Amino acid sequence: MIRTLRILAANPLSLFGLVLVCLITLAAVFAPWIAPFPTHNGAVVDFANNNRPPSAQNWMGTDLVGRDIFSRILFAYQISLTLGVVVLAIAVPIGTMIGLLAGYIGGWLEMILMRIVDVFLSIPPLVLAIAMMGVLEPTLTNAMLAVTAMWWPWYARLVYSIARGEREEGYVLAAEVIGAGAGHIAFREILPNCLPAIITKMTLDMGFVIIIASSLSFLGLGVQPPTADLGSMVAEGARYLPDSWWLTVFPGLAILVAVFGFNLLGDGLRDVLGVDE
Amino acid sequence: MSILHVKDLHLGFKTLTGQVDVLHGIDLDIAAGEKVALVGESGSGKSVTARIVLGLLQETRTARINGTVQFDGSDINAMSARDRAALRGTEMSMIFQDPTSSLNPMFTIGNQFTEVLRRRDPKLSKAASHARATALLDEVAIPDPARVLGAYPFQLSGGMNQRVMIAMALANKPKLLLADEPGTALDVSVQAQTLTMMRDMVEQNGTSVLFISHNLGVVREFADRVYVIYRGNIVEDGSTDALFANPQHAYTRALMSAVPRITGAGLPEVPEVSDDFLAPRIRHGDAS
Repeated sequence: MIRTLRILAANPLSLFGLVLVCLITLAAVFAPWIAPFPTHNGAVVDFANNNRPPSAQNWMGTDLVGRDIFSRILFAYQISLTLGVVVLAIAVPIGTMIGLLAGYIGGWLEMILMRIVDVFLSIPPLVLAIAMMGVLEPTLTNAMLAVTAMWWPWYARLVYSIARGEREEGYVLAAEVIGAGAGHIAFREILPNCLPAIITKMTLDMGFVIIIASSLSFLGLGVQPPTADLGSMVAEGARYLPDSWWLTVFPGLAILVAVFGFNLLGDGLRDVLGVDE
Repeated sequence: MSILHVKDLHLGFKTLTGQVDVLHGIDLDIAAGEKVALVGESGSGKSVTARIVLGLLQETRTARINGTVQFDGSDINAMSARDRAALRGTEMSMIFQDPTSSLNPMFTIGNQFTEVLRRRDPKLSKAASHARATALLDEVAIPDPARVLGAYPFQLSGGMNQRVMIAMALANKPKLLLADEPGTALDVSVQAQTLTMMRDMVEQNGTSVLFISHNLGVVREFADRVYVIYRGNIVEDGSTDALFANPQHAYTRALMSAVPRITGAGLPEVPEVSDDFLAPRIRHGDAS
């Protein structure tokens, strides 16, 4: 862990990514305490101050009903990060399990599982999510569900290809020879060798999940107002461009910073953990 | 009584176009404490024989196995997959060509040693297994065993890993050790060292060995008896001394003439297939 941090620190860009990710996480966790207007996350109306450009009082201006945009961005990060973490926490174990079983056990199981994965991969991800959200109620939980459904096949694919390669390694045969069972070999021998790739992909994917989730709420299919969400904030302001530019630009930048941070960190981790792509 | 008794062993693989026969009736016997070599060229069926003895090929759906493989009095082909798995790592174990790739790069030697020892004694504590492993590594002449136990396989040299593999393979005092071209991936001097070590260890433990190799020099030093296998048939067998002194089968002679000499007499022409090579099996009189 300390070694990982030290190598990461040697690369200024990855360190920058790590700092951005830490800042965003801290901002999200402590949003209720550090936001200048903590109540502005919800249904607050202050028409006296609506649609103000950035000022000393409202660093990023105010929105159409007078809420502080900076405060709302901090709260929106809570939603984005929660969504990212939950999606990956569900999609990664499912995908990994399926990839491992298909890759190590092979045979009919491999055929069936990987063809199912192929079907999922053949549908454009955003289309799948939009279709699911069209059927389901547009809530945070369902948005997570939709993104998860499009995410696990990528992990199944990744772990499958690694497991296929590792299956032929000497240590797998050696483990079979000392009588280890299929479960032991899949989870205790092969899985640890897949972990560096999984961890790296997870870090890179946090950014992508945030983008996809924002896209969904941009289309009105994600978290519903008045809850603050980066995607819906961009959508709300888009109609007033270019005059009230702060309505769109700041939430947009917020998405950019988050994705940028996770991508830089992911690139750095890939070097540290020695994963080739 | 023999530890391993193989009688009329046939193996074929079912493919889309029909069955491909690989072994055509192998007979093989290993007595307790005996070191037996199985010698042949690549593709002659050495390694599949080992995999059948280990009970690994029986799990492959396309494999068609006929004949008797008795290990310590019980028929391996007739056992359940579970019983076969229970024998591996306890009653029999195996050493491979490349020791470094046989160890999982993600775990320390100590961790992997613990797993091996727990095959025999699942409740073995971490401390007890560490003590056992230290003693075992000491036996294979590894200096500073504590450091080695904390190391990852890629941090050790090939020769060190091979010693670790030998110590692991013999840790549970198996009755039979299968050595599939052990140390072929190592350089010659290290290979010689580790083989001498392995011979001393199995002699101490009274472990029987099935030694699979194409290296006649190594076989001559190591084995008590030799089986020569060609295209899925045993073509000649006998005690190491008798067979090397008086090779009778055409294939055995070709194999021996193909050994490069350090004096540089050039390599002989050895045909890929020859009618002579398919001649009936020759047993030397003293073969038991």
